[in-house]
Amino acid sequence: MNIYHAAAGELPEVDFEFDKHVLSMKGEAFPENANIFWDPLLATLEEYLKATDDADIVANFRLSYFNSASVKKLYAMFGMLNESACKNNRVTLNWYHEEDDDTMQSFGSDLSEDFPVLDCRVIAEAV
Amino acid sequence: MQIDQFNSFEQAASKASVLFYYRGDVSQAVISTMGDTLRGRLTYMDAKGSTSRKLFSSFIETMQNALQYSQELPDSPGQRIGSVSVGTIDDQFFIVCGNIIENKYQARISEKLDSIARMNSEEIRAAYREQMKNDSSDDTISKGAGLGFLTLARDSSAPLQYAMFDVPEHEGDLSWFYLRVVI
Repeated sequence: MNIYHAAAGELPEVDFEFDKHVLSMKGEAFPENANIFWDPLLATLEEYLKATDDADIVANFRLSYFNSASVKKLYAMFGMLNESACKNNRVTLNWYHEEDDDTMQSFGSDLSEDFPVLDCRVIAEAV
Repeated sequence: MQIDQFNSFEQAASKASVLFYYRGDVSQAVISTMGDTLRGRLTYMDAKGSTSRKLFSSFIETMQNALQYSQELPDSPGQRIGSVSVGTIDDQFFIVCGNIIENKYQARISEKLDSIARMNSEEIRAAYREQMKNDSSDDTISKGAGLGFLTLARDSSAPLQYAMFDVPEHEGDLSWFYLRVVI
């Protein structure tokens, strides 16, 4: 059930190791059609969350850019994780951004405000 | 195009400090290639990280907007024509992007852009956050265009400028929609 896609052009690397409860994404996301890329990921994640109970889930996101069509999908993804954290799992979201990238930093802080049940850590990294 | 016309064209581009100009079919492949070229140029020019990121983001947003909403010309079916110019103005960069739209969407686009023009940067940020939560992906003409314009407004250092002009021989039906962003 794990998902792995290598980064390719306008798509990020996706490494969802459901068996280890570690979900990672890295790179840039600006697909022309956001639904084709994001919807299968969201569907599999939903299935996984439904079947998972009392787990420590860690999400590691290192996105340096996403387009406006992707931002809604990302937001929906974190909404699902937040909902799961409200019910039966513990979820840590590590939101990594390049240290001089204010846009990604404030996106991370917005997430921690909007999804208070996620243990959201906004982490600056040197480039 | 004759060589003397091409020369005037080239001189006009040079005078307007154009780094590159493209007119033709827009596809994701064209957008990605131009995006990479733009990044390479910015690295060479030693542009600041934030400038480079904002310019790249704005370039992708304007071009993907053109790709998604552009109307095919009745006399060249299958072609989605767009045009884009990126260049420098003083110590900043501009992007001007054009695509063809059906006139029935003029009012809706103007309404969105005019409402953004009345916002200050805090309001733009708040509207962006609101729009991000709004999962209305069924609306085929808006399809997040609101969020696209807000992304551009967030990154632009000057208010977004836009204009619409008749498409010759299709007056009343089609317009060129131009959008200008300064980073």
